[in-house]
Amino acid sequence: MIKKFIIILSSITILSGQSLPEIFVDGEERDIKIRPNIAGTEVVLLGATPAGQREIIIEVVGPRRNITLQEKRRFLGLWLGLGKINYHNVPSYYNILSSKPLNEISDRETFNKLGLGLENLPLGKAEIINSDLKQRVFNKRLRTEMQNKGQFLENESSVTVRSGPGKVGLFSTEFFLPSNSLQGKYSVRYFTFRDGNLISYTENTIDLKQAGFSRVVWLTANNFPLIYGLLAVILSGLVGWLVSIIFRRLKIS
Amino acid sequence: MEFYLPIAEMSINPVGFLILGIVVGTLSGTFGVGGGFLMTPLLILLGIPPAIAVASEANHIVGSSLSGTIGHLRRRAVDIRMGNVLLTGGVLGSIVGILIFNSLKEAGFVDLLVTIAYFFFLTIIGLLMLYESLDSMGLLGHKKRSRFYHHSWVMGLPLKVRFRRSGLYISLIPPYLVGFVVGILSAIMGVGGGFIMIPAMIYILRMPTSVVVGTSLYQIIFITSIVTILHAATNQTVDFVLALILLIGGTIGAQLGVRLSNKLKGPALRVALSILVLSVGIVMGLELILEPDQSITILAGGH
Repeated sequence: MIKKFIIILSSITILSGQSLPEIFVDGEERDIKIRPNIAGTEVVLLGATPAGQREIIIEVVGPRRNITLQEKRRFLGLWLGLGKINYHNVPSYYNILSSKPLNEISDRETFNKLGLGLENLPLGKAEIINSDLKQRVFNKRLRTEMQNKGQFLENESSVTVRSGPGKVGLFSTEFFLPSNSLQGKYSVRYFTFRDGNLISYTENTIDLKQAGFSRVVWLTANNFPLIYGLLAVILSGLVGWLVSIIFRRLKIS
Repeated sequence: MEFYLPIAEMSINPVGFLILGIVVGTLSGTFGVGGGFLMTPLLILLGIPPAIAVASEANHIVGSSLSGTIGHLRRRAVDIRMGNVLLTGGVLGSIVGILIFNSLKEAGFVDLLVTIAYFFFLTIIGLLMLYESLDSMGLLGHKKRSRFYHHSWVMGLPLKVRFRRSGLYISLIPPYLVGFVVGILSAIMGVGGGFIMIPAMIYILRMPTSVVVGTSLYQIIFITSIVTILHAATNQTVDFVLALILLIGGTIGAQLGVRLSNKLKGPALRVALSILVLSVGIVMGLELILEPDQSITILAGGH
């Protein structure tokens, strides 16, 4: 089961007035609740822009977290994870969605300046322990690993633009947040380009909240670790005891 | 069908883990061992981060050992006094074990520690079991099994106490030490430690085999409880959802195993177990020896 959440434009009517903003999205923060037991959440993003000749790029950046890389090296004939590389501010989720392949929308230099795209995603300065390699080697690996895990994504040509009422173009896209997505603020940046130049920019945020049983378990384990440990022991013991009673009954009957 | 583990923060197939519980439970019911020493490495090989596998498996053993102890208590096969002495040493040992575990976790070497500990113990115990079972089948040409019959140093120690159920009058020091060492291993490896405790009880303490399994299980309840609480309190790695899935599978398996062992007993089966133990040990060892596909990886469980 996949739950769909739609971030809807609050009022399209504004756009039919005289002054057309270059890009319009619902500026309010939206709350999304995910239940980790289900596969994940489909998020739909909608917005409006004047019709014709405009390309759209949408970038979603998830809350940041610490990530540690380990570098295995040969030592006394064994492969040991000797090198440790600690990153303190890596986005837990990154998705870049666009209406065309990125290189058809603009050039590399422009994206560099805007900090747009997976290659330009800042990973922060890493603390390198016990390794001779340069940070860019690790940055490259980290990006690849995150892509393999489906946490860094590039979805070119996934934004569709349709002409709406009057001179308004409506754009929409959807992306999937897996069930193990970190909770917190996901910032969404919207860019419109014409002839390779940025013509407008706006942003909003999605607040992702985990709900349900798993969330309660996680919160208890992290906020009341001692009580959690005691409960885990009691519960396990109780199940073991119940099982021994059940099987004893079964043997007698 | 997917099931989300809240602490490991990953989705698993619960049916697969239930079957894993049943299989390991059947083995432990058949052979009278706890099964933790097989379960933890299998969990690691299935992709559960080592730190979480260790702590959650300790949580699982609390329930399975309690269930097992009740059966042994009914048959009066538990030396509670000896169990209490062993677990006094064990409590100290598990605290020391947690300290070692956490300081290495801080330095990022806990995965390495767990892998090496498993490789070392599984290989040695697998080989000893293989030797012993082949020997008892008469395949090694020994006329009579030579046991360690002379333990003058154990007999000569002070602080002697009578253990009625075991029919022993021995010093408190050896059981304390045995409990202490097993407690350390229990905290580091996420096991009850029966696979080390039982040989130590037979060969060092010379307890009668009829009370060995029950007494070992009895003290394991307490040691794994403390280990679970310490892991939960100090590094939040206990996933009780995982523990419960394994427990449900494991208890079903244990009952099957007890029935199976009545039909299948024999040295050939012990050879099979020893080969299984040995292969898990070797697989853990290969991780250290073989060149990894990727030398730089995200450290599992790093938050």
